[in-house]
Amino acid sequence: MDDLKAIRDLGDDLGHEPPASLVRQRQRLVDAAGGRAPRRRPSGWLLIGVVTAVTAALILVPTVLLRGGGEPGGKKDLNAATAPAKPINVLIIGSDARGGAVREARSDTLVLAHLPADRKRPRLLSLPRDLMVDLPACGRFPARRGQLNLAFTLGGAACTEAAVEKLSGVRVDRTVTIGFAGFKTMVNALGSVQISVPRSVNDPKAGLRLAAGRHRVNGSVALAYVRARHGLGDGSDLDRVKRQQRFMASLAREAKAMRLKSPVRFAAFLKATAGAVEIRPSMDFTTVKRLAETAETDTAVYGTVPVRPDRRDFNRLELAPSAPSVFAQFK
Amino acid sequence: MVAAVTAFLANARVAGAPSVYGDAELISRSHADPEAFAELFDRYAPMLYRYVSRRLGPEVAEDLVGETFLVAFGKRGKYDLAHPDARPWLFGIVTKLVARHHRSEAARYRALRRSPVDGAVESPADAVAAMVTASAVRPLLAEALAALPRRDRDVLLLVAWGDLSYEEVGQALGIPVGTVRSRLHRARRKVRAALGDTNPLSGDPREEA
Repeated sequence: MDDLKAIRDLGDDLGHEPPASLVRQRQRLVDAAGGRAPRRRPSGWLLIGVVTAVTAALILVPTVLLRGGGEPGGKKDLNAATAPAKPINVLIIGSDARGGAVREARSDTLVLAHLPADRKRPRLLSLPRDLMVDLPACGRFPARRGQLNLAFTLGGAACTEAAVEKLSGVRVDRTVTIGFAGFKTMVNALGSVQISVPRSVNDPKAGLRLAAGRHRVNGSVALAYVRARHGLGDGSDLDRVKRQQRFMASLAREAKAMRLKSPVRFAAFLKATAGAVEIRPSMDFTTVKRLAETAETDTAVYGTVPVRPDRRDFNRLELAPSAPSVFAQFK
Repeated sequence: MVAAVTAFLANARVAGAPSVYGDAELISRSHADPEAFAELFDRYAPMLYRYVSRRLGPEVAEDLVGETFLVAFGKRGKYDLAHPDARPWLFGIVTKLVARHHRSEAARYRALRRSPVDGAVESPADAVAAMVTASAVRPLLAEALAALPRRDRDVLLLVAWGDLSYEEVGQALGIPVGTVRSRLHRARRKVRAALGDTNPLSGDPREEA
């Protein structure tokens, strides 16, 4: 037997493939290179980190195509039949949780994201929080009719997931929960994001004061902007949802510009995002890798589920008859 | 998952970001833009990790690879930009850092005399015969590696596990190519002797001369 070949074979047996956590060493380098003090991170951040990197790539980075009306359907090109991978549905929950106070937390924003099997056209569907739905029994709470966002208050991401699944008939594979602090962190990691307000705003309740025109805003102002219900638009939740979609589009453009200009800073942004959200359940390596390698991020479609005033309470909303056909695109 | 991130960033480049620079260009650029050095990490950290994980195991490898790039970053001013390929340079730094662990490295090889190596069961069926031979020689091989003087082992493993050419090993260790050849020759002779020299013709005849 050739001695060098024997040694090479031994090496193949002894060697290991680089683990995900090698990224920590990269950060060590970047911190040192940037002259920053090394940061200690909680163990396990990486797992969600990479999942979030992928999620962010798919959901935040695309230059989101805004659709004004309530019908996001129209043309779809899912190509599911020809693609090898499975489609994935992610429920994104923006909550007003501060710190660990989940009990009193409400979900402010709900977006159902669909990554088709060919990963080519992610679809993002906003679900208004005022939507009246039949909430399934969850934990110690019995089934009842209520606002969609009540599910989060009662039982967090798990109950919200169950509620959305019941409402839509769509299987939810992952939930991504982001709180106020996380949202600010994300925007601040980008530097700032541009927003445009049609007329001057003064909403003391949201802590928002802006003159008419374009502004570059940091995390705190951005948060007030996406949450405000007074002084902007007609004060409805639907109007707020549209504003949030515009903001996400702007955020996505910013992130994309950064990705092209400085991949290293973009990686730092993804990491900041990673630390700012909670994903359940975490994804296995193969899934994540395949997602990252196959995702096409320039063709996302954004819409709002079709709704109409609730017949029992005209201050609330219920699904419009066309809603099932929209949800069907997520199956 | 590193692969995922790397692949992701690679896709980002395809989308119109700055194209691929040579190693020397990256190092040169990193003086003005220190974060350019991270691209060198993306390029070579996985390879260096595999190499170190063979010699010292996965527990040490991760930190050592990180250390390697910190050292490299600190010394980048001394890098000879005439060398377009940074691998020998990086392997040279790795080798010095591995030397700090020479006791645990030897212990690792000696441990192989007793325990079977993981992953053997995953071999394809048609490689079973080869595996039988391999598992028979492994304890002998491991013993021989453990017994080699560090300098000879460095050369042998940079060639066998690092896939460096003789010239590149010379660059990495800062020694003439002739010295690389003689150390390699000596190391391989000992390894063959440990294997029982079952086939004296299997080696490179030029080295036997």
